[in-house]
Amino acid sequence: MKQSRVLLFAVLAALILLPDTGFGGNTFELWPLPPPAEYGNILIERTSHKSNVMPATFSHWLHRTKYSCRVCHFELGFAFNVNATEITETDNKNGLFCGACHNGQITFGHTAENCDKCHNGDISYSKEKFAELRSRLPKAAFGNEINWAEALKKGIIKPKYSIYKDEKPLEFDKILELRAEWGGISPAVFPHGPHVAWLDCSNCHPDIFNIKKKTTKHFEMRYIMDKKFCGACHLSIAFPIDDCKGCHPKMRRTK
Amino acid sequence: MKSKYILYLVATLVICLFFSLVYADTFGAKKKRPKPEEFGTIVLNNFSEKKSVSPVVFKHWLHRSKYTCRLCHVDIGFAMKVGETGITENDNINGIFCGACHNGKEAFAPEEKQANGVVKKNCDRCHSFGKKVDFKNDFYTFKKGLPQERFGNGIDWIKAEDQKLLTLKDQLEGISIKRKKLENPKEEMLSAKVAGMPNIIFSHKKHAVWNGCELCHPEVFGVKRGQTVYSMQDLFNGKYCGACHGSVAFPNDDCQRCHTEAVS
Repeated sequence: MKQSRVLLFAVLAALILLPDTGFGGNTFELWPLPPPAEYGNILIERTSHKSNVMPATFSHWLHRTKYSCRVCHFELGFAFNVNATEITETDNKNGLFCGACHNGQITFGHTAENCDKCHNGDISYSKEKFAELRSRLPKAAFGNEINWAEALKKGIIKPKYSIYKDEKPLEFDKILELRAEWGGISPAVFPHGPHVAWLDCSNCHPDIFNIKKKTTKHFEMRYIMDKKFCGACHLSIAFPIDDCKGCHPKMRRTK
Repeated sequence: MKSKYILYLVATLVICLFFSLVYADTFGAKKKRPKPEEFGTIVLNNFSEKKSVSPVVFKHWLHRSKYTCRLCHVDIGFAMKVGETGITENDNINGIFCGACHNGKEAFAPEEKQANGVVKKNCDRCHSFGKKVDFKNDFYTFKKGLPQERFGNGIDWIKAEDQKLLTLKDQLEGISIKRKKLENPKEEMLSAKVAGMPNIIFSHKKHAVWNGCELCHPEVFGVKRGQTVYSMQDLFNGKYCGACHGSVAFPNDDCQRCHTEAVS
């Protein structure tokens, strides 16, 4: 009797701890992708409902045509998870977060006549604009089905790199090759170059990836699936991990 | 017997959940960045709660608008880590630490006798953690006229001082020792360790305005060239430059503010 109880506790403990320690979890249960026009679109609902306004819609593809990821996620301090940034109306009016640009000078301000432009609760907002944009940008297989890196490289879009300074991306294109966890899977190739064009060093270092070689712990596919490491962007914003070949270039495309 | 069984069950669940949550969130994700008004604000609670008072909320931005770093961290002797100084009420009353200024002469005292004879208690102005205190100084009002910066407080403190928008007190009567101003050593060029990373230009001048020599030498950095060996990883761990840059001075996120010398 006593033995069976001990066993029961052990099983319970294992069930809870397993997904974190690595023996559980389902690595390849990818959720369905939204339509290209909605990929990377988010609804920010932190205090909107309590304040009797609709959640704010935010489209990554729209903002990305004009500003690099770095401007918002580095200079303006937006977090990488939806609703994790404590944006308030006061903040916006003090010129923080959205208010850094949405001030009536750079672009439309946080004023009464403009509420609906963001606080409309519509995740597919401005999809007509998307169709037009997509028609003139290089194609890709997944996500927005736009090859953003290519569009930037060719100069079809010219997103601002900084809103404060006359800064240029570092000329840093160290290419890393990472051995896959499983035999038979070709190595993942990480080029710093195309990342540096959009991001700042500190977007990834040292919080997400350590700066010293081989010191980043738990850097595995199943954690990427859990929005960690590459998954911070490559699940819902940058090309999704459905595109295996995007990182493991020697693999055959699955779709 | 059965209740004991349930108790064990619940305890196991709670312990496991706790570990699973703690474990799950410590790697591979971006940390939260403080808001401009929160940057450099620390909570001191060595003895406060044990004595049933609210912990002290200390704002670096407010003090730095009037005093150099050196005055508190060298002359008055505050440590560089939160909680390490171990300030007591007695110390303050004896004119040590906060009490060096908060004595009714340089800055407000814990208790003030007003003109009408009523004693005003100022406890809440420092012991304010978890309280709604109506502060006299509003961060955003203060920030308005100052040069903007991307990180930390969103204020370019160096420029603000340089343009004489701030007047910093560097000496305190009865505590500081008057000394002759030293000529600043030249700018230092430090080579980055990773190929392709721009080299670092370190300006003694910019640092000495706020810190003098003593804040960094010889404890944080030795005085002999090449003697102190450190890496960026050490900085991220709060050592060397990281003693200030990251928590009080502009954070290490701002790579290109130090790594400025392009490698040809």
